[in-house]
Amino acid sequence: MAATKLTRSQQIQQTILYPIDWLEERSGIVGGIKYFLFRKVPGDTNWFQTLGAATLTAFIVQALTGTILAMYYKPDPNGAYSSIQHITNDLFAGWLVRGMHRWGASVFIILMFMHMGRVFLFGAYKYPRELNWIIGVLLLTMGLGEGFTGYLLPWDQTSYWATVVGININGTAPFLGPFLAQFLQGGTYINADTLSRFYAIHMLLIPGAIFALIGLHLYLVVRLGVTSPPWSKEAAGKGPITNGKVTTGRRGLSRFGTRGRR
Amino acid sequence: MASDRIVERRRVFQQYKADVKERGKPFYPYAMFHDTIMSLVVVAVIIGLAIVWKYSTPGSHTGTEAGWLGKLLDAPADPGTINFVPRPDWYFYFLFYLLRIFKWPETVILGTIGIPTICLVLLLAIPFIDLRAERRLSRRPVAIIASILVVLSMGVLTYKGATAKEALGSELVAKIPSWAASEGFTGNQKAIAGAKLFAVSGCLNCHTYNGVGGAFPGAPNLTAEGAKNKGIAFQIDHLKCPACKTPGSPMPSFQGLGQQNLTALANFLEASKGSKK
Ligand code: HEC
Ligand code: HEM
Repeated sequence: MAATKLTRSQQIQQTILYPIDWLEERSGIVGGIKYFLFRKVPGDTNWFQTLGAATLTAFIVQALTGTILAMYYKPDPNGAYSSIQHITNDLFAGWLVRGMHRWGASVFIILMFMHMGRVFLFGAYKYPRELNWIIGVLLLTMGLGEGFTGYLLPWDQTSYWATVVGININGTAPFLGPFLAQFLQGGTYINADTLSRFYAIHMLLIPGAIFALIGLHLYLVVRLGVTSPPWSKEAAGKGPITNGKVTTGRRGLSRFGTRGRR
Repeated sequence: MASDRIVERRRVFQQYKADVKERGKPFYPYAMFHDTIMSLVVVAVIIGLAIVWKYSTPGSHTGTEAGWLGKLLDAPADPGTINFVPRPDWYFYFLFYLLRIFKWPETVILGTIGIPTICLVLLLAIPFIDLRAERRLSRRPVAIIASILVVLSMGVLTYKGATAKEALGSELVAKIPSWAASEGFTGNQKAIAGAKLFAVSGCLNCHTYNGVGGAFPGAPNLTAEGAKNKGIAFQIDHLKCPACKTPGSPMPSFQGLGQQNLTALANFLEASKGSKK
């Protein structure tokens, strides 16, 4: 068909690239990834702005270790405690997976608070990023919900009684409280159904919602861009810079879009 | 006015986009390099905590004794225990402590639901309360003060929650003579015996009595329980099966204490006609 003959290395290259081209032609995903990777971010972003990515990493650790735990955990009152014992003491590296999940939860929550703190101190929740702040607050409450529902699962004294108290606190809320407590417990008192309910909420309902919200969160981060540190002399949004000084922007005479060249 | 502000903030954002285009750096490799290092640190810290958790556990690193980071696993859950100390994970300590500040049944709802709800709504509303474009901290005194106050109060509540000690049975037993004096059952041997059981059976984790005890939501103050004159038989039945007498009651059954002990407890409750101090 084709008249030109390809050299051997060109042929190899084509074979390697073929699946990528195939994907790109049908989905545009390669272009999407390229856009994500090579999009510009302000030149003065700093270490505080890695806290979001750190939170994401902690969440991924939770998802992976949680999946492994779910393969061995038995969500019923007769089996839960001994299955946790089995994971901790008998399985190969079971203690490591469980320990990572247990302490990863604390790290995840600390990082969420630290990330929120940096967003607050940078004033990064202001226009046009208000929506991303709201999504963030939802993520924070869901993270705490994961902590609450996961705490019961080992079904030991600590977890059992902390949950009894926790559910009863929910129960005192006006209007919805009693319904919420009943829904969580699967009855009027903590029982066998409570454990499977907490398990379903902990490993399906809330993680699903967190995944979706993180997706939205990152979409907005990419779409709107991250803010420059507010103290930065060359913060994006101040206008072009000549000899270290802002030449237009807030102090400029022209308010609309005129941009001086360097 | 408002529309001026809107026009201005749109302009600043357009300027932001133009600036980033002109002198920003590509995410890969610059920002991604920092993100990757930070993520590796996070994973290393998590693995480190897991290792310390296991290998600081005394003995063969498998038991239910506490190491530096607490127990690997507590004893199995037992809904019939009579001496438990409810304790959430550390990041709920602040809520846990709020609950103890608001002890009285009428205000406990403030601590458990009221304040957290108000805080959550405020947190959600921040971008709509603070509408100024100013982002430099030196020009945001309110934001600085608010964040210091929030960090301080969360820190104090968490610390207080972490160090809060539940009243121990033995300390409570020492109070019995003063209870008997103020309630007027000093001569009543059955009631004294019941008071001892009451002190060591964990009742005070939920109930308040003569100013001591916990504030489990819905658990009444028992200082004047006897004044309701419900009768010994009712008290015994209620202790055996609280939910049978008060549908939906979260109070656990104390059937396991045996008829003799339950009778003593019931006598104590009925003798508690209220503090006369
Ligand atoms: C888990 C928390 C909890 C514990 C532990 C607990 N209670 Fe209760 N108790 C409650 C609640 C909640 C109520 C209100 C609902 C009800 O009346 O059953 C209650 C109600 C009562 C009442 C009032 C009954 C009435 O209708 O007048 C008495 C008396 C009582 N408890 C005694 C005790 C005694 C004695 C003990 C210890 C042996 C004890 N409780 C342990 C939570 C608890
Ligand atoms: C599961 C939890 C979360 C994940 C995985 C996450 C992830 C991220 C990432 C990767 C960024 C990019 C910039 C950065 O790293 O700082 C970011 C930005 C942002 N996050 Fe989060 N976040 C989470 C929770 C939160 C919370 C709790 C809030 C606040 C209530 C929040 C508000 C924001 C805002 C407003 C931005 C934009 C910041 C800017 O433009 O400078 N996020 N998030």
